[in-house]
Amino acid sequence: MSSRALRITLIVLTLLGLAVASYVTYVHYAGIKPACTSGESCTKVQTSRYAELEGVPVALIGLIGYVAILLTLLAPDGENTRFALAGLTVGGFAFSAYLTYRELFSIHAICEECASSAVIMTIMMCLAVWRFLRGEAPPGLAATSAAGQSAAPDPAAPLSSAS
Amino acid sequence: MLYPTELRGRVQICNMVPYLDALEQKSVKVASMSPVESDEDLTRKQRREQARADRKAMEEAAAAAIVRRNRLTQLGVVGAIVVVAVVVILIATSGGSKAPPKVNSPVAKGNDAAVAQLLTGIPQSGNVLGNPTAPITLQYFGDLECPICAKFTLGSLPTVIPKWVRTGKLKIEYRSLSTATGNAEASGAEPKEIFKDQQVAALAAGKQNKAWDFIETFYHEQGEEDTGYVTEKFIQEIAKQVPGLNLSTWTADRSDPLLTTQVTATDAQAANNNGFTGTPSFLIGRTGGAMSKLEYTNPEDPTFINEAVEKLLKE
Repeated sequence: MSSRALRITLIVLTLLGLAVASYVTYVHYAGIKPACTSGESCTKVQTSRYAELEGVPVALIGLIGYVAILLTLLAPDGENTRFALAGLTVGGFAFSAYLTYRELFSIHAICEECASSAVIMTIMMCLAVWRFLRGEAPPGLAATSAAGQSAAPDPAAPLSSAS
Repeated sequence: MLYPTELRGRVQICNMVPYLDALEQKSVKVASMSPVESDEDLTRKQRREQARADRKAMEEAAAAAIVRRNRLTQLGVVGAIVVVAVVVILIATSGGSKAPPKVNSPVAKGNDAAVAQLLTGIPQSGNVLGNPTAPITLQYFGDLECPICAKFTLGSLPTVIPKWVRTGKLKIEYRSLSTATGNAEASGAEPKEIFKDQQVAALAAGKQNKAWDFIETFYHEQGEEDTGYVTEKFIQEIAKQVPGLNLSTWTADRSDPLLTTQVTATDAQAANNNGFTGTPSFLIGRTGGAMSKLEYTNPEDPTFINEAVEKLLKE
């Protein structure tokens, strides 16, 4: 996948996640019942004590996370932003994993919004980690690293600038 | 062309060896020291270019490998931090079982005083708090283990009860809807049984017109959700804190099948009919008239009740 296509895919996924997180955050603060096809399980999850972490709704944490991810995706493509994205999605994935654990083993109910966010976050983490480790070099970075290589034959030189 | 192939072979070997930079430079040196074998300038130049290209490709490959390794390390550090963070969150949210305060302990006495101050002098009948002829009725669907119900009971009722109930304008009916208790993971017994036991225990106190003393005390001493703290002993400790409750009568009344029906059938059905899935949920209306749902955003802010009562009083 070209770096452009990958970035667009990631942006689309982030917007989906952002929509889900915004909806759940709204539901939390408005005190209304979330849309749910499986009866009361969404309400059960979203009114449980695990819906808040030290008084902060987990939906809001997710919303902030997706906004941060979107910002790193909209920033110029480069080593640092790719690292930031990979780091954020790994964090997001771990948090989703924790929440899913709580749903399955503590609350014994699954909330559809939470599950969709977890799936989105998992796909995003895979893409972001792959992009950071092995993805096609971003257009800007490829040019500079090539220039660095020809100017300094010592292979350590471009590396130190990259790390 | 033997030599270039041989060189290329050496270069490939070098490729697998660490510190290939130094080794590879050596092999280039060897090439320049044997001019006898060269045919003409052009091929020598080509050979040199080939060697340079090979070297460059190797350098780039080596550089890319190191970059990848560095990135993997960076990501590994992030991963380790994330794992630690999740473990901390898991531990922080797991919360050990909080023992309820002992009867006659300072905490329990403080709770008893608060409950007495709130309720003394207000008529009670069964699950109803307030003047039976009050013009407005509020139905409160709750689960005694539900933390949001505790927030409502401790946050809003201390305003609502003196303002509307004590003045005879509002009566509150406590009804049962299983939420937090039904969700319980840690309870040894069946959550449904515990829910029935604790809610029936409150209604049994209601047979002596002390249901609200039991309910208020329970919410004041509510433990950590999902820790299985509500045991038979816990329920009895709450009952012992209710002033003037005849414990043997209360114990006998707990097996009244009508109370079980009230909790598991009548109230559950009413909640279901109104589409209630969370607690606390409320119905409000003129006494004997149609009841309508009362929504809220902050259970600790009594404004939603105040506004609804004021509106109904004007009708």
